[in-house]
Amino acid sequence: MPSRTILQYPNPLLKVVCTPVGVISPEIGELINDLLDTMREGPGSVGVAAPQIGVPLRLCVVDVSRSKLGRDNNHGALVLINPVIVAAEGRGTMREGCMSIPDYTGDVERATCITLAYTNENGELREIPVEGFEAVAIQHELDHLDGILFLDRISSVKTGLFRRKNYR
Amino acid sequence: MLNSAHFAVTVISKDRPGIVADTAEVLYRLGCNLEDSSCTMLGGDFAMILTVSHPKPFTKSRLVDEFKRLHDDKGLVAHVRTLGEEELQHQAPPGELCLISVYGADRPGIVYRVTRELAGLQVTIADLNTRVAGTKGDPVYVMMLEAYVPVGKSIGDIDELLSVLRTELQVEIGVRAITPVSL
Repeated sequence: MPSRTILQYPNPLLKVVCTPVGVISPEIGELINDLLDTMREGPGSVGVAAPQIGVPLRLCVVDVSRSKLGRDNNHGALVLINPVIVAAEGRGTMREGCMSIPDYTGDVERATCITLAYTNENGELREIPVEGFEAVAIQHELDHLDGILFLDRISSVKTGLFRRKNYR
Repeated sequence: MLNSAHFAVTVISKDRPGIVADTAEVLYRLGCNLEDSSCTMLGGDFAMILTVSHPKPFTKSRLVDEFKRLHDDKGLVAHVRTLGEEELQHQAPPGELCLISVYGADRPGIVYRVTRELAGLQVTIADLNTRVAGTKGDPVYVMMLEAYVPVGKSIGDIDELLSVLRTELQVEIGVRAITPVSL
């Protein structure tokens, strides 16, 4: 399956509230594979949401297992279909960047622990507890499904609007 | 010879509403682009640092003349410097990014001693702000800076280097990794 081009803002598809996925058809299976390939080929990428490759559906993939911050605490490669955060607690700040907004980072406050309900690639309903960097990555990708970018969530101008530094 | 023009502009004024709008209006009318900027209240003043470009060759004197008018009409004090081609090829330095916090009872030399040590280790400061907090009787000096640790040195090395100053200056010093994440 090919890796797909990541759309960049101001592409209007990045500001759309996405539609729920219905049946997991062969086309959805292909889309999942494309998302996984796109994530694996992006430098340092730990997640891609369907709207980032131009498909306005509630579907994203996350895998923090290869990242320094997530390698010790993760669920491996997650395919999240129609994901919903059913519980959230704790607040933590991280400096985030996004492949759809190059050359910019900002401090974003998010929940540190979440309970996530979703359908996996086999059509099975799942509910898992997630914490740490994996929880941050999932919240960032879920925001894409609602047309929300990290710029919409920057928590402080004073410390949040530094120009982009290098990613790690 | 560049086909476009680039300038570094600083503007400072006694604070009041409209300083940014007055400055941006001058640039807009001249056809200049306001690029990266950092602007903040400093005590009772407002200070702006801007990089400005013009898509065509453009003389510094046109900008200087307009800002002179702004000075006469509205009291803003501006300084304009032409940027050379090499200054436009900027890239963030390699190495880990960290936040260094320093605070303690106010005394002379806090900024000097801390930044001299960092410079000696080839640490690059990316952002820095300081504030005198606390009360008149017990002023507390707070300095926050973000810096790039040079390749081959660790955040632990920086912490160790600065630890001497904890006792010498009687200040608290914290060094933490920032680790920007690409999502």
